[in-house]
Amino acid sequence: MTETPYLEIAGISKSFGSTQVVRQADISVARGEFVSFLGPSGCGKTTILRMVGGFETPSQGVIRIDGRDVTHLKPSQRNIGMVFQSYALFPNLTVAGNIGFGLKVAGASRGEISSRVEEMLALIKLPQLADRYPWQLSGGQQQRVALARAIAPRPSVLLLDEPLSALDAKIRVSLREEIRAIQRELGITTIFVTHDQEEALSMSDRVMVMNAGRIEQIGTPFEVYNRPATAFVASFVGTLSLLEAVVSDRASGEVRVEGVPLAGLRIPERLANGDAVRLALRPESLRLDGRDGDQQFEARVTVVDFLGSVIRIRLQLGGTRISLDSFNDPTRPPPSVDETMQVHFDPQSVLVLAD
Amino acid sequence: MTRLLPKRLWSWAALLFGLAYFILPLIGMTEFSLKMRRGVYSFDAYVKVLEDPKFQETFSFSVFMALFTIVFGVLLVVPTAYWVRLKLPRLRPYIEFVTLLPLVIPAIVIVFGYIRLYNTSSWLPLTGTAAGTNLLLMFGYATLSLPYMYRAVDTGLRTIDIATLTEAAQSLGAGWGTILGRIILPNVLVAVLSGAFVTFAIVLGEFTMAALLNRPAFGPYMQLLGANRAYEPAALAVIAFGITWGCIAIIQLVARFAPKPATPVKDL
Repeated sequence: MTETPYLEIAGISKSFGSTQVVRQADISVARGEFVSFLGPSGCGKTTILRMVGGFETPSQGVIRIDGRDVTHLKPSQRNIGMVFQSYALFPNLTVAGNIGFGLKVAGASRGEISSRVEEMLALIKLPQLADRYPWQLSGGQQQRVALARAIAPRPSVLLLDEPLSALDAKIRVSLREEIRAIQRELGITTIFVTHDQEEALSMSDRVMVMNAGRIEQIGTPFEVYNRPATAFVASFVGTLSLLEAVVSDRASGEVRVEGVPLAGLRIPERLANGDAVRLALRPESLRLDGRDGDQQFEARVTVVDFLGSVIRIRLQLGGTRISLDSFNDPTRPPPSVDETMQVHFDPQSVLVLAD
Repeated sequence: MTRLLPKRLWSWAALLFGLAYFILPLIGMTEFSLKMRRGVYSFDAYVKVLEDPKFQETFSFSVFMALFTIVFGVLLVVPTAYWVRLKLPRLRPYIEFVTLLPLVIPAIVIVFGYIRLYNTSSWLPLTGTAAGTNLLLMFGYATLSLPYMYRAVDTGLRTIDIATLTEAAQSLGAGWGTILGRIILPNVLVAVLSGAFVTFAIVLGEFTMAALLNRPAFGPYMQLLGANRAYEPAALAVIAFGITWGCIAIIQLVARFAPKPATPVKDL
């Protein structure tokens, strides 16, 4: 990233008693960027978000927003907008009251509050619900109101703490598109915490993958998915089949899987002949039909899942199970269970991970 | 069906017995209070009680004391219960224990303690003036109503996610005063009101503290009247009973307008 960081998290660590939950995290977020923190439960992503929001104090490190050190400021002094997983709408206030709360606290005039509330209601496409109370709204509507409430006071950074987790799958998809559209329209710098990789990959400019308090990788969704920096990222983001292999000829990029030679792979420089490696294969990288330059191996079909547009085939290669996704072709019936078939792949699409 | 019938009969019998147990004495007392004039039912006893300047004086004194006690109790209990739930959850059992102490420590012990600590020769001679004694009495009433007020507010706080609501308000720039006044208090208002009405009933009927601090309260007046008259105490008891039931009715009424938890309706 070449732009000047708007939000800068430098050398942040956090411990609760003897447990260190965040270890030396460094992230820079550009103005208007949408960055997702992705990782399993307990990896420290929410703790970083809460430190940015001022709800936790870092044990070490600095947080700057637009060049200003906010590390030890109270949450109310940071000009942060936050959306919570549980919506956290104030039950005693109407939708308009909730949206206008931040402005009222800031001492805005009645007219200013009213026009901003109207603007926000139009933005979230709920202008008719201004006088409703939170309990009269659906989950999706409540979360939209929570988003409008967070952005109404024009915060410098918007923090979204798993805002879609409590919603139905269908609402989740439509709301994530809506959140992204609103974020783009307003150009607000946004941090989005999620454990759902689909959400992170589909919404973000960049994704930060965390594990056990450490940042494993920060990159665009394309980079994180296609060029995972670590075995954890490779296994956590997307579906992956891992094949045990041994480097047989580093110069030509050849490894052997169950004795079968596969050439043309990108082998990391630090590896030497005879080293044990793991080949990471995405289901969509494997094909039933070969192309020029493809490598291939033979495997036995164990399960065929017909998913409509996609057919997921599970294969057995020696002691390893592999998944293959193929688009449904109405002119070609899916393979049968126990059938032995040739599986093709582009060697450039294979990730070679050191053991 | 044949088995169900006797079971249902027993249920009805138990209910009727319970109702009779509670209502018959009330009917008897009310009927007696109406018998002041020989041979006919009349409201003479009520008129006499209501016209008595002592009644008006003691009743208004106790109502004011109740209102001050409620305000003091709310200011003391709401922030305390909120803070304990938010920041000191481990202390909850100890705080609950402390709030229960007024149930096991007799009022007479508390008031003697007050008199010893705050008499005219002490470092803080509150009993030296009427206002100081009233203040002391209000503290005493607040102590007596603490178990009910704290429990009511604590139960109210349990129904809302105070931690997340607090963080949401903080992220919108609110300070502690705004959070307590505009978010927490309105959301536990019904709980606060139920605690307030219990406090009101306690203050109206309290005798020991008011008598020993020599204040013109309603409790000592009722006792005095009961010791010297026949029909008026019954009329007074009916009036006090009516006030208590009125308070309960107001709690029920207010509960209808309380903010509801923000459980979402089903997504469409």
